[in-house]
Amino acid sequence: MAISDGFGNINELLLNIIKDNLEDAAFEWLIKAGSANEIDKLGQSFVMLPRKTGKPALRISEVQKKQLEESGISYLTSWSIDRLSRVWLLGVQSFADTEKSHPVIENLFLSAEVNEAVALYSALPFLAKPETWVKRCAEGIRSNIGSVLEAIMENNPYPAKYLNEAAWNQLVLKAFFTEKDINKINGLDGRANEQLALTLSDYARERYAAGRQINPQLWRLVAPFINDQIFEAIKIGLTNQDKEEHNAIALAISASDYEPAKVYISQIPELSQLSK
Amino acid sequence: MCCSNSIERDKATMGKPKAFDISAVKGMKFFDPHVHMTSRTTDDYQAMADAGVVALIEPAFWLGQPRTGLDSFRDYYSSLIGWERFRSSQFGIKHYCTIGLNSREANNEALAEQVMEILPLFIYKEGVVGIGEIGFDDQTAAEEKYYRQQLELAKEAGLPVQVHTPHRDKKKGTQRSMDIALEHGLDPYQIIIDHNNEETVKEVLDRGFFAAFTIYPFTKMGNERMVEIVKQYGSERIMVNSAADWGISDPLAVPKTAALMKLKGISDAAIELVTYRNAITAFAQSGQIDEADFTAPKNIDQTEKFEGNTILRGGQQPRTDKSSIIIS
Ligand SMILES: [Zn+2]
Repeated sequence: MAISDGFGNINELLLNIIKDNLEDAAFEWLIKAGSANEIDKLGQSFVMLPRKTGKPALRISEVQKKQLEESGISYLTSWSIDRLSRVWLLGVQSFADTEKSHPVIENLFLSAEVNEAVALYSALPFLAKPETWVKRCAEGIRSNIGSVLEAIMENNPYPAKYLNEAAWNQLVLKAFFTEKDINKINGLDGRANEQLALTLSDYARERYAAGRQINPQLWRLVAPFINDQIFEAIKIGLTNQDKEEHNAIALAISASDYEPAKVYISQIPELSQLSK
Repeated sequence: MCCSNSIERDKATMGKPKAFDISAVKGMKFFDPHVHMTSRTTDDYQAMADAGVVALIEPAFWLGQPRTGLDSFRDYYSSLIGWERFRSSQFGIKHYCTIGLNSREANNEALAEQVMEILPLFIYKEGVVGIGEIGFDDQTAAEEKYYRQQLELAKEAGLPVQVHTPHRDKKKGTQRSMDIALEHGLDPYQIIIDHNNEETVKEVLDRGFFAAFTIYPFTKMGNERMVEIVKQYGSERIMVNSAADWGISDPLAVPKTAALMKLKGISDAAIELVTYRNAITAFAQSGQIDEADFTAPKNIDQTEKFEGNTILRGGQQPRTDKSSIIIS
């Protein structure tokens, strides 16, 4: 899904929601900040924005909810008004003058406080020429701030669409490390790859060695790539007591073509059914 | 800011140690309006949260050795509104900051010029509750120049000012700081004069400024002296802070001073004013303090995420048993 391919329509929808959530004065301020002759003040407007809009959670009508779903961005129903307004402002100015707005937005990343960083990373799919922000997104994955990582990893269509394999794998691995909600990573299964599967199975082995649990979701990314090396990790996993993990492993094996694992698990009565 | 003159000599004047009994102030909330958490450890955050500190202000200052380039300033300011704020949130403590060019580094004029240019980028950020800490150190012409420029900036932005007063020649430096602020047309009620002592407090209060006291062993106020000041001057427009940094300082100075005040018979209402309320009153003039952010009842549902991260709310932080030889 490419939000920025059709920003025109999305822009209208976002603005519609914003209007319903703002007092007239704040809405007028925002419209002015988003107009073409205000692009020089984009940095300052972005920073000051919550002082004008406040920060309450969005109220969204049923109709709008539906429209958001159709556009593939229903996740933003959980945002606050300042976050949505900031994303809209960056989007509209980035399309108005891509060249001029780029360094301004880049600078905002360099001096961002936490909520600003969250809005900036949330805005990536809404910017013109989204491919020019790949490095910035990869840099964001190095953050240690939970809410910043969530803004990149969870409910954000940008990474799956634009990151190269190394950066994507880093994102997924870090999501497991920092206990993010794996189900909220956009495009997760579609970007499964062998290198990631190997890294994740190594990670699982390290966790086992330390006597720690792993998120069983990990096995869903490993499934298509089970080989000798991963099979060793699986065997350790099956000696653990965690039932949920056993089930996840069994499902992974059933999805793979790796015969030795299929044979191995068929000998474990309570899992043999699952692995078929 | 700390200094290190003749600690051995001052030690002799400390008297007999007395145990800090937190139960005296159990259930009270504290606001430390001046503490440099960048230079403190995670253990300090935990101890502050345990002692009832619910919010704090970290003023921008120098880092113990001079910065040589603009990017160091930028990264430092960014860390105050980014990383340090996050670190604090992990312990359920609301972190605010003041942003400014400190007096020592105002003396590097070539760099100071560049810093002044980036300050407007930071002062409008969320959670920036003032311009600070600015003022005089050596009382040079360069210090005065940038003090004045930053007062103008505060006036334009409608932000309170947190004024550092010098260690040396303090009384004159304090007077001069106030004179200049008034000369620029600032409202004394928007200005917090910091690091007061018995010699400066009267004039600061008489002229309508807020008077902050730094409880800092050896070099600034001791809290027994602080108790006497509250007895003499009351609790209006007076606040205490720890100014804890990388010197021998105490991040629990505010709760400890509250406990001592309680022992010495100062009323709960007065204690609340000088260790909590007055700081909020002064800095909330920035429009950036929402008391509900740190007084709302803490959710004890352990699955609740704090500020969108997976670390549990303050008090629910994973703890290590420091007396154990086992680390796991
Ligand atoms: Zn200080």
